[in-house]
Amino acid sequence: MNSILNVEKIEKYYGYKGNVTKAIDNISFKVDKGEFVGIMGPSGSGKTTLLNCISTIDTITTGHININNKDITVLKRKALENFRRDELGFIFQDFNLLDTLTAYENIALALTIQNRGTREIDRLIKSVAKKLEISELLNNYPFQLSGGQKQRVASARALVTEPSLILADEPTGALDSKSARLLLDTFEKLNKEFQSTILMVTHDAFTASYAHRILFIKDGRIFNELIRGEDTRKEFFNKIIEVVTLLGGDAGNVL
Amino acid sequence: MFYKIAINNVKRSFRDYSIYFLTLTIAVCIFYSFNSFEEQTAMLEMGKSTSEYMLTLNKLIAGTSIFVSFILGGLITYANNFLIKKRKKELGIYMTLGMSKGKISRILIFETLLIGLVSLAVGITLGIIVSQGLSVITAQLLAVEMSHYKFIVSIGAVIKSAVYFGIIYLLVMIFNQVTISKYKLIDMLNAAKKNEVVKLKNAYVSIFFFIVSLIVLAIAYVLILKNGLNSEGFLLIASLLLGVFGTMLFFFSLSNFMIHIVQKNKKLYLKDLNIFILRQINNKINTNFVSMSVICLMLFLTITLLFTMFSFKSTNDNMVAGNTSFDASSVLIAKNENLEENANDIETFLEKIDFTFEADEKHTFFSEYKLTLTLENLLSNYLSKQEQKEFQESYMLGALSAVKISDYNSILQLKGQKPKELKDNEVLVVSNYGRMNQALNKFMDNENTINIEGKDYAVKNDAPIEGNILTTATALTYFYLIIPDNFSGELQLDKTGYNVMFEGSDPKKSEEKFTNLFSSLWEDSTVDGTNYLVLGNTIDQVNTRVHGLSATVVFLGIYLGLIFLISSAAVMALQQLSDASDSFERYQSLRRIGVTEKLINKAILIQNLIYFAIPLGLAIIHSIVGISMVNEVFKAFSQGIIGSSMLVIISTLLVIYGGYFYATYVGFKNIVKSRN
Repeated sequence: MNSILNVEKIEKYYGYKGNVTKAIDNISFKVDKGEFVGIMGPSGSGKTTLLNCISTIDTITTGHININNKDITVLKRKALENFRRDELGFIFQDFNLLDTLTAYENIALALTIQNRGTREIDRLIKSVAKKLEISELLNNYPFQLSGGQKQRVASARALVTEPSLILADEPTGALDSKSARLLLDTFEKLNKEFQSTILMVTHDAFTASYAHRILFIKDGRIFNELIRGEDTRKEFFNKIIEVVTLLGGDAGNVL
Repeated sequence: MFYKIAINNVKRSFRDYSIYFLTLTIAVCIFYSFNSFEEQTAMLEMGKSTSEYMLTLNKLIAGTSIFVSFILGGLITYANNFLIKKRKKELGIYMTLGMSKGKISRILIFETLLIGLVSLAVGITLGIIVSQGLSVITAQLLAVEMSHYKFIVSIGAVIKSAVYFGIIYLLVMIFNQVTISKYKLIDMLNAAKKNEVVKLKNAYVSIFFFIVSLIVLAIAYVLILKNGLNSEGFLLIASLLLGVFGTMLFFFSLSNFMIHIVQKNKKLYLKDLNIFILRQINNKINTNFVSMSVICLMLFLTITLLFTMFSFKSTNDNMVAGNTSFDASSVLIAKNENLEENANDIETFLEKIDFTFEADEKHTFFSEYKLTLTLENLLSNYLSKQEQKEFQESYMLGALSAVKISDYNSILQLKGQKPKELKDNEVLVVSNYGRMNQALNKFMDNENTINIEGKDYAVKNDAPIEGNILTTATALTYFYLIIPDNFSGELQLDKTGYNVMFEGSDPKKSEEKFTNLFSSLWEDSTVDGTNYLVLGNTIDQVNTRVHGLSATVVFLGIYLGLIFLISSAAVMALQQLSDASDSFERYQSLRRIGVTEKLINKAILIQNLIYFAIPLGLAIIHSIVGISMVNEVFKAFSQGIIGSSMLVIISTLLVIYGGYFYATYVGFKNIVKSRN
């Protein structure tokens, strides 16, 4: 079985008795190794909650989540921390780079907390920087970088530990369209050339069109699923727009 | 409405900034305790001269309190400014809601008032409790009896604390108004987002600066150690200025230097969160290098002050031992040109001024002679050059004093000790010179006889007998040879005197009688047209002079030392805590990329530890230099004191500074965790 992520009938409730909101209402899906999956949905549809639950930042009410054949819903706090450190890579909308550290140090941090050897750390950073074309930026501080460069540094940090699963939360949300395209090209390359498994949450149809498969979520349920197959990105994009229109209310977010 | 906001804010900041509140409370407590001194000590049984001395001490404490209130004023304004900065965003939100600056000011005023009142009330309550112990300590320091215990609340000190701190809080309020009126709304709302400006600096420049700072400090140390306190004013000031400059340069360049060094050591650099810790500290030290320097210097002052104080006190205690055996003593300095019979005899003198002893004022008379033998002759083989210089500086060289055995025995009997027997060819050595250096002890160990004018006398005792032949506050070091009654060498009468023990039911009355006698003789001792030099001390006068001096030094030292210590520790703590809230997002980022709580807590601990330890470390090095200089001054008297006083100083530092460190560490963890 080569599915990296297996989500089984999960539910997440907020609130107390009598006033319960179902943020996630019985969602199940699988992500195979080397897949690039997008999750789309309007604001408040529960997509960020879903990502938080998968990324072990939040806990679910019922159901099971298996990552790399490990059920993360039964892990203890400490085991969870280690799991997050070793198996997951995160890319956030607001980059989450440490402003006091250089790009090199930001990437290094992901490795030092895994107690890797110093030579190995240096080697891994150099190779990931080459992949993401940020080799010249390594000695710069975040405030000296553009948004796109920052997000590539953040991606390098997520990738450098070679995690089983990369979780991206609106990675292009804070980028201009050119930087967004460059970043997504990078994602595509990573996915194709290095078989990285990526799960990306977005409400931007253009960003989503880079994925192989898209899950649409509305009101905590899976509403639709689109598979790119042999479509060109343009064709896939148009299909996405159709679904988004169907979902309604979120057309304003279309490019 | 505003009051409600203010009260809630205070409640919240009570939790977040409990260290600020704690510092205020401790400051009020210390301030009250020392200012309640006058009333606290009223219950002590003091003689006339001690009471007079207490007045002086109270004036000194009052003066110091003004200085202290300046320091505390600075501390409170600084801390408050810090807290206001932290709350820019909150205040900005009030403004976007349409609140006028005037109303915001009112909230702040009310808050200051509330914190002020609570800290005053708690501080004074604590102070009242603490100050009860103060009278016990005072009694011990001044060597007086505590007749009865009474719980005392000093209204004067309460009012004084309230007024002084009231003024400080008033200044803080005004300061807040000025700060608020300067802020722009957009800056206030964005305050939380702003990053600290990372000063990029060339690594080589910072290494250069760091080395320069070390050189400057080294020069300052050498100057101080070589010249000591005796150096000319210019050199002393120059070395102090160099020290201050070197300290500032040290903190200015330290963190960049440190980063550069650690980066070279990849094993250390690329381990756990060390990169992060290093950068956090770097930012902090770099932006706060002025306050770090001030704190370092304050800690240095504290340590040196406390040490000086202990040295002074123990030197005094050490030397006064054996000098207070009698309730009163008096001597008449002999004049050689005075040829009238018995003119140099104090007994005759007392008759002339119609002074009589009561029956219960037991007394003995004695005569003290000068020999032709001098101290340098006696000890010449055992005195090092340095010791010879010391003796010379304390005017102890010159002809030796001698007392006849019959006089000495009556002195011993008055003290209630057994008389000594002395053969015609024997002498006794009575001295406390052994407390100053080893010369006399070596002499006693090696020589068995003393040659006086060609005749050998056997030294009967193996070690010098300690115990002065009279009570004195001025000549605390003494050396007497006790000679046989039929001593054949040349003797020149130096002084005649008497010792008294008050054995009546009312020693206070006798005490007063002799105090009055001595002070009237001090002012005028002319009888029948002849001027006599008559000096006298009662034990109370000696205690006042000797213990009073050390008590003054101890009280002022502790007062200032405590204030310095809590001020610097509080500033450190506030800086770290504000850093905690500034860095909240960074710690969140760390958590998101999978850093474990354990590692985060370790990082916080290391970061705080380094931040607290660096100024203390440099201060300790400064203090070692300062202390060796101070020790030079007291060296003659203070052997083996360093150990015991160091213990007290170190434990004080550990408790107060360490306490602040621990509170900061816990607070830091809470702030970083709280909004999770």
